[in-house]
Amino acid sequence: MSTFKYNQEALKNLNIEESALLNRLVDFESARESHLKKVRGKVDKRISLKEAVAEYVSDGDVLSDAGFAYVRTCHQAFFEMMRQGKKDLQMIGAPNTNQSYMINYGSVAFSHNSYVGAEMRGTDRNYSRQLKNGKVKILSEWSHGGIAQGLKAAQIGAPGLFSKQMLGSDIMKYNPYVRMMQNPMRDDSDPVVFIPALYPDVVFIHVQVADKYGNACIYGPVVNDIALASATRKVIITAEEIVPEINLRYIKDGAIIPFIYVDAVVELPFGAVPGNMPGYYYWSRQWWEKLMRHATKDEEKFFEFFDEWVMRTKDQFEFVEKLGGTKWITEARRQTKAAEGSNEDIDFRYQEYAPENKTELYY
Amino acid sequence: MKDDSPANFLEMLAYFISLQIEDHKVVYVGTGLPMVAAILAHKTHAPNITMVYESGGQDPVEGDMPWSVGDPFTWRKAVAIQEMPYSFGQSANGYVDIAFLGFAQVDMYGNVNTHQIGKDLTNPKIRLTGSGGNNDLSSLTENMVLVGLQTPERFPERVDFITSVGHLDGGDSRREAGLLGKGPIAVISQWGVYDFEPETKRMRIKSLTPGIPFEIAQQSTGFELLKPDGDIPETPMIPSDVLNILRTKVDPNGVFTTMPS
Repeated sequence: MSTFKYNQEALKNLNIEESALLNRLVDFESARESHLKKVRGKVDKRISLKEAVAEYVSDGDVLSDAGFAYVRTCHQAFFEMMRQGKKDLQMIGAPNTNQSYMINYGSVAFSHNSYVGAEMRGTDRNYSRQLKNGKVKILSEWSHGGIAQGLKAAQIGAPGLFSKQMLGSDIMKYNPYVRMMQNPMRDDSDPVVFIPALYPDVVFIHVQVADKYGNACIYGPVVNDIALASATRKVIITAEEIVPEINLRYIKDGAIIPFIYVDAVVELPFGAVPGNMPGYYYWSRQWWEKLMRHATKDEEKFFEFFDEWVMRTKDQFEFVEKLGGTKWITEARRQTKAAEGSNEDIDFRYQEYAPENKTELYY
Repeated sequence: MKDDSPANFLEMLAYFISLQIEDHKVVYVGTGLPMVAAILAHKTHAPNITMVYESGGQDPVEGDMPWSVGDPFTWRKAVAIQEMPYSFGQSANGYVDIAFLGFAQVDMYGNVNTHQIGKDLTNPKIRLTGSGGNNDLSSLTENMVLVGLQTPERFPERVDFITSVGHLDGGDSRREAGLLGKGPIAVISQWGVYDFEPETKRMRIKSLTPGIPFEIAQQSTGFELLKPDGDIPETPMIPSDVLNILRTKVDPNGVFTTMPS
């Protein structure tokens, strides 16, 4: 078993007494061991989302976000983890921790952050409140680029790399994993930051198409997902569509995650709802506005919202029905294709969400 | 229908920002006003700029206003979409000339806070977004421009939390800390355009918005603003033909240039 040396100042600043909590994310040996044990054969890996969450997500796991926060991100897998009562996960919020709703249900107890919020829709008041109430503990703070480099180091099989990011900032004081060093190649002073390779326990990567073996094709921004697929111990591909293997060999449009990384495949149309899925559907912009601007005002409103949208909603199909059903699907598909330039331009104007305007359709 | 009403603050800001963009440059664009400004520059004085985005989108075809930095509009028919670490790597490797960032606080040395109000990360008064790509661009890009509204709380002497190093403690301290690029070259607010005095690296007025006296800018600032030698110049106002392009061709639905009611 490897032992680790953490930045003591950061441990103190973050009030982390039990540094063993940090080990999994940098434990190369156990990640390599997990990878060596993966099924090598080309076998049909398809299971349901319920089965995938039950089998592959263990309480206390280091769970990584994937996609770009709410672009091609498997929100429906996060929702299923809440329904199954998963506990005490460490959430890597990179690119985003707008998945803070998992904290209130006890599913996430720790966070590794590079961004918290939903851009123009607003800061995440829920995360702020849970942090102050001690319901979530920060284990490490990052920049987007810094944590992306840690995942990339894992992908290229390097124990870590030297970065010019985060230098001199207060982020360094709240990250036990990174440390400032002198560039060993330089004779003059050249401060650099050592970033260790990072190995999450489990990730759900949502893609447009995959085959039953787990070859998975990403169209649009890849973000960190190829790196995540190669670094993470347990990799679940969720896909809008399952296609024959030959499609991915000859008709691919995008980047490929090879099947050997993949533990399970879930056919999951609308898996990224209410986020944006390139080629398939645009955001439900009003849903996010309702969440960020209204439902996060206080705990009561928060639970009212998520009890309705997640705990009392069986699956993604029921979720889509609540957004507006086939009308929502049609509109969201028009919108994303127009945004991608694969369709005639359309009018993107819409009414921002307001509680007084009853809506049948969450644009 | 031609809208002849005078420019609002957001439209003025978009114009001030656009003036920072020179033609034939590579511009790293975030959402919101910087994007409006970049597209405005592209449609007016800088038709040959190339825009790159945090989503990794390289030189996308212009469309409507993106809803997010990951929005398809940021990689619409892009010639390539880079993975996230490569997208920041472009800045480090000298492929990006200028980038724009927002802030919750900016201090006299151009250090930026987007993390929190309060000093303790484990128990802030209010937790904000954290870095995202803010730290990365600030650490790596040749020229940084900081954009946001100006109030004394948002312009403190020292930020509550250094998310992104500007000129750190002034003087040569940014370079000594190992960071790349020139650091912030300008701060743009509704009251003025600021630069940094070359020796001390303290924030200095470059020009003020027409009609805004020095006292207003100073009262909106939590530290002493340096003044340029001689009279303080006025920032050029948005000409009516440019305002018309902004309203009809850049942000016709007023997504980012409508004042909140």
